[in-house]
Amino acid sequence: MDVDDLENIQSSHSYNLTCPGESLTSSQSFMRGHGTYVDNEEVVASVAGTIQRVNKLISVKAIRSRYSPEVGDLVVGRITEVQPRRWKVDANSRQDAVLMLSSVNLPGGVQRRKLESDELQMRGFFEEGDLLVAEVQAFFADGAMSLHTRSLRYGKLRNGQLVVVPPILVRRLKSHFISLPCNVDLILGLNGYIWVSKHVKEIDQEGEQGFDAEAVYSNINDEIDIPTRSAISRVTSIIHILRAHFIPLTDTLLLETYEWTIEHENHTTDLLQQDFGEAMVAYISSTG
Amino acid sequence: MASISKAEKSYIQAGLLADPPSRADGRSKNVFRTISLETGVAPLANGSARLSIGRNPHDGSGGTEVLAATKLEVEDIGPGSQGLDSGRIECTVSCSPAAYPFLSSNALDELQYDYTTIMSSTLTHPSLRPSNISILQGKKSWLLHLDVVVLTDSGNAFDAMFMAARAALCDTKVPRTRAVEYRASDSKLKGKTSSGGIMGAVLDASSSKDMDVDVDVMESSSFNTRVHSKATDFELPDYWDEGEILDGKGRWPICITLNIVSATHFLDATTPEEASVSSRLLLMFSFPSDSSTSKSQLYGMRTLGSGEFSVSQLSDLLKEGESYAKEVWKALNSQLDEETALKLKEMKRF
Repeated sequence: MDVDDLENIQSSHSYNLTCPGESLTSSQSFMRGHGTYVDNEEVVASVAGTIQRVNKLISVKAIRSRYSPEVGDLVVGRITEVQPRRWKVDANSRQDAVLMLSSVNLPGGVQRRKLESDELQMRGFFEEGDLLVAEVQAFFADGAMSLHTRSLRYGKLRNGQLVVVPPILVRRLKSHFISLPCNVDLILGLNGYIWVSKHVKEIDQEGEQGFDAEAVYSNINDEIDIPTRSAISRVTSIIHILRAHFIPLTDTLLLETYEWTIEHENHTTDLLQQDFGEAMVAYISSTG
Repeated sequence: MASISKAEKSYIQAGLLADPPSRADGRSKNVFRTISLETGVAPLANGSARLSIGRNPHDGSGGTEVLAATKLEVEDIGPGSQGLDSGRIECTVSCSPAAYPFLSSNALDELQYDYTTIMSSTLTHPSLRPSNISILQGKKSWLLHLDVVVLTDSGNAFDAMFMAARAALCDTKVPRTRAVEYRASDSKLKGKTSSGGIMGAVLDASSSKDMDVDVDVMESSSFNTRVHSKATDFELPDYWDEGEILDGKGRWPICITLNIVSATHFLDATTPEEASVSSRLLLMFSFPSDSSTSKSQLYGMRTLGSGEFSVSQLSDLLKEGESYAKEVWKALNSQLDEETALKLKEMKRF
């Protein structure tokens, strides 16, 4: 009996997609979760999204929503507040994330106890408005996420600009650090914040041994030449177009579209034209 | 407004100062984002317009979006009221909290107040007052409410607000009015019932509102010109359209914001760009068509931010601002003409 019900749910909703008002199953044999409500003894979806089932619990994950974090996710965030021993970080989630002073790399060795002097100069590491890339470490009791930047790949961001897309458009990839051959680095935060910046060579990245706090927490940009700048703005425009057409971003897709753009454009501002964007999207959908 | 990091700020500034200058989205310095305009969006308003700058045509996301609407209200003139014989304009700007999610409600109030001050100090100036919003000398006049709502802000809100306000004011129709005088007719003296004893005499409120509606009642009552002063009330005659166009179509100014980064300036800043400039210069220009075509009128000037200008720098900026404003003015007018033509066509279908 139960097995039949489960199969019914699966079969009647191919792709597991649903829209508001659609009846999902009977409320007698299933429990309603987020994104659903009970009407006439039936579980009905209240949002458009994908159906998720954990044992007897049916919930719908909305397509357009704020970012719901999971441990291990890579996120890009912006400092909103400096508090005692912690920073508050806006990460496009329902509540601000928390970055503890104990979860950042401090000058003079990666692993050491935090001193009072560190507490006093927290703004020297991150101050309000600063952008950083971090990983979701854990959750607090109230559901707020705790971040950490205890890796050399994580930390403060510079040499580029931020693009914001709906979180659902960033899929989980093997690596969220993407280097495009046009001298541009991309950091795809799972929260929908994307950092587009000048490429930094691996060797130049601050090494584990010679951890240089000055360099890691610097606010000064490197010299960025004009071709790199236009490449950055081109990548930004591509992401804007893909967002407008609601196309999920992957590294291969971005690379392909970039190459197509270089081939077809006459000028950087072409990407701002609507028909050019549509031609680009048509090309992507034709190649699959 | 969400603050941006020092690195982002210097990235934007360095890009603008580079040669050739580069901006986040690849625009050059004095290029606007796409502007879209729609008039007559609020059916209950006398005139309305919705304007967006840089909105995504696909999903309608992003960009700055502003809604402006005008509403005419009858106002008494006399002691204790602010009403004027020539009518007056009141301007209010409100911001949707969704447009500024990072602002507290107090900060939002302050921002609204700032916007309102700048808008109303420019648009309610007596030199811009339209000639056809008076009703009865010394008795009643129209009070024109101009309400502007900022729905979303991704930079350059001032230009958007002024353009929307101009579009809404150009879209405004002032209802036709006729002055009415009451007098006791002879029948009242004879008859016992008071009802129907008052006879409405209908007059033309002003010579400009000449109409061929049934005024023969009035003519038979042998009124002379003196009755104008005796008019106590007015009525709205039924007529096929909503009224006549608000005067001053050629005058309502537009605003051009020059964002200044050291020696250079640029137009139509996005939110991060606005956060990284030290000062902005607002110039309110209009180019009345009735005077010689090259003549421009400067209706207001405002600096925002902490930067300073020298006089010579300012005069250069004024000149450049004028030429930009002229372009915007032309584009906006042609769009407004198009909208009017479209509406006329729709009306003719009936």
